[in-house]
Amino acid sequence: MEDLLKVENLRAGIDGKEILRGINLTVHPGEVHAIMGPNGSGKSTLSGVLAGDPRFTVLGGSASLGGADLLALSPEDRSHEGLFLSFQYPVEIPGVTMVNFMRAAINAKRKYLGEEPMSAAEFLKVMRQKRAVVELDNKLASRSVNEGFSGGEKKRNEIFQMAMLEPKVAILDETDSGLDIDALRIVAGGVNKLKTDRNATIVITHYQRLLDYIKPDFVHILYKGRIVHTGGPELALELEEKGYDWIKQEVDNE
Amino acid sequence: MKETKEKTEDGQDVIARATSGEYKYGFTSDIDTDIIPAGLNEDVVRRISQLKGEPEWLLEFRLKAFRYWLTLEPPTWAHLDIPPIDFQAISYYAAPKKKEGPKSLDEVDPQLLDTFNRLGIPLEEQKALSGMAVDAVLDSVSVRTTHRERLAEMGIVFCSFSEAVREYPDLVRKYLGKVVSYRDNFYAALNSAVFSDGSFVYIPKGVRCPMELSTYFRINSAGTGQFERTLIVADDEAYVSYLEGCTAPMRDENQLHAAIVEIIVEERAEVKYSTVQNWYAGDAEGRGGVYNFVTKRGLCRGDYSKLSWTQVETGSAITWKYPSCILAGEGSVGEFYSVAVTNNRQQADTGTKMIHIGSNTSSTIVSKGISAGHSQNSYRGLVKVAPQAEGVRNYTQCDSLLLSGTCGAHTFPVIDVANNSAVVEHEATTSKISEDQIFYCNQRGIPTEEAIALIVNGYAKEVMNKLPMEFAVEAQKLLAITLEGSVG
Amino acid sequence: MSSSDSGAFAQYLDLARSNADVLAKGRPALLGDLNAAGANRLEALAAAYRPAAGEINACRLDTLLAPDYGVNIARVPMQADVAASFRCGVPQLNSLLAVVVNDIFRPTDTLLRNMPDGLTVCSLRDIPAQFTDDAAAMLSDTGASVADAVADALTTDGVYIRVAPHTEVEKAVQIVNIFNSPVAMLTPRRVLIHACEGAKVRVLLCDHTQSPATAHLSLQQIQIRVDAGADVEFYDIEESSAATHRLSTLRAVQQRDSRLTVNSDYLSGGTTRNEFDIRVDGNGAYTSLSGLAIISGEQVCSNNVVLRHNAEHCTSRQLFKNALYDNARGAFGGRIIVDEAARYTDAAQTNRNILESADARMEASPQLEIYCDEVKCSHGATTGQLDERALFYMQTRGIPRDEAKRMLTQAFMVDVIDNISFEVLRQRLHILVEKRLSGASADCSTCATACHTQPTEE
Repeated sequence: MEDLLKVENLRAGIDGKEILRGINLTVHPGEVHAIMGPNGSGKSTLSGVLAGDPRFTVLGGSASLGGADLLALSPEDRSHEGLFLSFQYPVEIPGVTMVNFMRAAINAKRKYLGEEPMSAAEFLKVMRQKRAVVELDNKLASRSVNEGFSGGEKKRNEIFQMAMLEPKVAILDETDSGLDIDALRIVAGGVNKLKTDRNATIVITHYQRLLDYIKPDFVHILYKGRIVHTGGPELALELEEKGYDWIKQEVDNE
Repeated sequence: MKETKEKTEDGQDVIARATSGEYKYGFTSDIDTDIIPAGLNEDVVRRISQLKGEPEWLLEFRLKAFRYWLTLEPPTWAHLDIPPIDFQAISYYAAPKKKEGPKSLDEVDPQLLDTFNRLGIPLEEQKALSGMAVDAVLDSVSVRTTHRERLAEMGIVFCSFSEAVREYPDLVRKYLGKVVSYRDNFYAALNSAVFSDGSFVYIPKGVRCPMELSTYFRINSAGTGQFERTLIVADDEAYVSYLEGCTAPMRDENQLHAAIVEIIVEERAEVKYSTVQNWYAGDAEGRGGVYNFVTKRGLCRGDYSKLSWTQVETGSAITWKYPSCILAGEGSVGEFYSVAVTNNRQQADTGTKMIHIGSNTSSTIVSKGISAGHSQNSYRGLVKVAPQAEGVRNYTQCDSLLLSGTCGAHTFPVIDVANNSAVVEHEATTSKISEDQIFYCNQRGIPTEEAIALIVNGYAKEVMNKLPMEFAVEAQKLLAITLEGSVG
Repeated sequence: MSSSDSGAFAQYLDLARSNADVLAKGRPALLGDLNAAGANRLEALAAAYRPAAGEINACRLDTLLAPDYGVNIARVPMQADVAASFRCGVPQLNSLLAVVVNDIFRPTDTLLRNMPDGLTVCSLRDIPAQFTDDAAAMLSDTGASVADAVADALTTDGVYIRVAPHTEVEKAVQIVNIFNSPVAMLTPRRVLIHACEGAKVRVLLCDHTQSPATAHLSLQQIQIRVDAGADVEFYDIEESSAATHRLSTLRAVQQRDSRLTVNSDYLSGGTTRNEFDIRVDGNGAYTSLSGLAIISGEQVCSNNVVLRHNAEHCTSRQLFKNALYDNARGAFGGRIIVDEAARYTDAAQTNRNILESADARMEASPQLEIYCDEVKCSHGATTGQLDERALFYMQTRGIPRDEAKRMLTQAFMVDVIDNISFEVLRQRLHILVEKRLSGASADCSTCATACHTQPTEE
């Protein structure tokens, strides 16, 4: 099976401090990967670096998506190549309506792929369909991007955008944080509905909770900037039971 | 409804009473004084220089400044109503008479000591042990500097300006007029021509000055002007906190005070300059009082240097003063924290300039104006970001509190940004003291005048907290005197 | 501070005095005193002129007036194609439309046919007899600057708009200013707007040019009288060429319980200096001043507000936003003066600026002068950049960085536009700003957008 996402010996940092110290990760179509780890282990840095967050500096290694060299691309072209990041803290953009925002995104991707822009009527139709995936209110869609949204609404809005953009690889960065159980169910339900045998999902989370709803095929444990353990879904349960301390000890004693 | 109205009127009365505090420091000292007769010409400039035994280069500096001053007009752009000043009617030099410099405190004029004691200055050694080194400038001449020996061991120079000219001529010559040129403005030119004394501070590389250095300025003689000059140099990685206090006796005529403060901050050095200014403000009808026309400026020359100005201004009939920072060094930091209280017929036009030249420089301005009586209180500021200065940050908060319906509170900032990586924010509010807050205090049993003092102190807290401990207490007392009336 | 160029003003004094008879022949009787008094004031003010400290050189009065412009004192008619100007303008608002070509007033048939009762819109030369005193009184309230004096000395026409007491004019009055001249020209323009007690009117002014390469100085004076209980909305949109400069003064006086909304938008032009002098003399009045400027290339736009609160229980709101590109320079001077008598004033002013290039420069000077304690006044000014986090977020969704910037700049301007209660204009401005930001209409002469094919809203 071909590799969808391939990360090799990726090292990156912020303000001269190395955070990722050699990440290796391969994701195939149809797979769900969970990346877990204690606070400060580098989980959000990994998602930021893959998406091209300018705050981080890549120090070495490579990352490719469907054959494209991710690290050489601008954030928007990484998106066009099929990478989606659901932000832990979605950014509020006052004055830019969700409709204009999504239309700009969809049409930019189409232009990148050499396709005609989507007509207004078709766009509105697609918006309507995809909103249903996460039960996003029509009113929210006409408001400014994330402005005045509750925590749950912001996360649903992220998954709605994922539905609109139909990525090859979606990275969900702590999508469960700040969600009550109902919102969690809706968000996870949305992610599951979008799952096909051609795309893949990476779930970054601190807790096992989200994994009850989004079943991972692989669980990776990130600690001190490296993946120190990889296993099946049972690894998440083990973490839930025993916490992270045993991992820390194992690594720190090496 | 009627009751409320009466209460309000009553409240106004109380504010009026509370804001009419008497000037506590309005006594004169009966000390023998040497005075050059009033008037200003080249001969007077030469005479001052001669009296002080100055070298030729300094006389030349004075003469150049004097000749330049002759070509200038007093500035008129400030929001101030300045009566015409007869510069020929002022005496430009007044020194306490002395035979020889005092060898110990015993030799100091007891009247003088009494003056300082009444001012609460820890001039005597015992009091000085509380941690301050003090240089007291009475009228124009530096009287005594305490703690000299201990500071000298660390290589710190803290002495009167005249002494510095004699003992450290190279240092003085290297830095004098480098931050505030005699061509800077009318009063800077005047000061450069006739300055009589002041303080000089030099902190050598890597030395943290272990105590607060302090100078008290006091105008004593009638009809004299005070033109002191302060020069502070903090060499690489040095630190000093410098305090300046000012008082003047009550007199019917106006007295002119035109000082210059120059500060040079080298790499990773830090200077904190705090002022509690309480020159005589004139009486309730605006008779008398000091005209305080001061040029204060610091140059953050070294990378990552820091200069912080804190001022509590309660005195002077007219204040014209803009302690400023030239942020030239990469990553240098400028701060300006100010409380300016005006009452009766006082006028204050004060603020700061933050000139961002170096990259990643940042500045913070917090100005709290409090106006009462018939006073006019203005904040004037400039934040300038040069084209080559990348990553500059400035935040300015500028609030005015009005305590009467007859006073004025004004804000005149200029923000000039020529680099697109800068983030510059300015916010200002003007409002009346809150009747709800006063009523809330009343309901809890706090009388109105005490409530006003509480509220004003709370309002000024952000700035007061920046003062060194000893000064903060004094500054709070000054606010109390200015605003609490009988309570003070 | 460089010394002033006294020749700048002297040449126009000379022009006015040596052509007194030509001016007299071309002007209506109403303007006779104005020209003479203007020339006298010009002489005195020119001698006393000093540029303000720190003023942008290009915006100084002596710089703007330095070129030797011609003035059409002989009133040679100039043709202009109204339809052509509409290509980029604010077309088809279903308004009561008049066109001013340079300074010559031309009502449209629609205006003449549809002029509602109680509304007068005419040239200063056609003012009905019963209103000449009214117009003369307004003209006698002269501006204080030397530029106002130059304008007064040379004004031979203008527009008079009067709304009778308790008359609400439903349709907007639209004045389309078109500059057209084969030679460098200065046009003094005068607009008098008087909303009588309880009257309500919307006036929209827009500036265009049909000779974009010709140097032009529009010396505009607008006066607005808002009587008790009246409501005036005044919109001023500048969309001309880089050679078209503008020096505009707006003076307004508000009476009790009146409302005044002024919105001034700079979409393109040369060097523009707008002065707003608003006096609130009546209790309970409301004032809203706003504006946006998108400044690029070598353009300069300076907005200066003096708002005088002289009465009780008045509220004022100001919002000015600028986006600067390339070598553009912008300035905002805002002064709120609250008189001792103006108790219970609630005044707020906001100025926000975005620098989008390393060589752009913005100067802001928001000022408060408060002489009364029963007030709530505030101002805020920021100069900075677009939000980097928002830009990154948009990029991760596939929106190219340049487009994301454009969208964020448009969003930055949104609150100025949404402030406009005149819905058709609001929608139109959204489009105009979007076009301007995407470079489509930076200059009418290079504009490739077929604005006239835009569907009409009404």
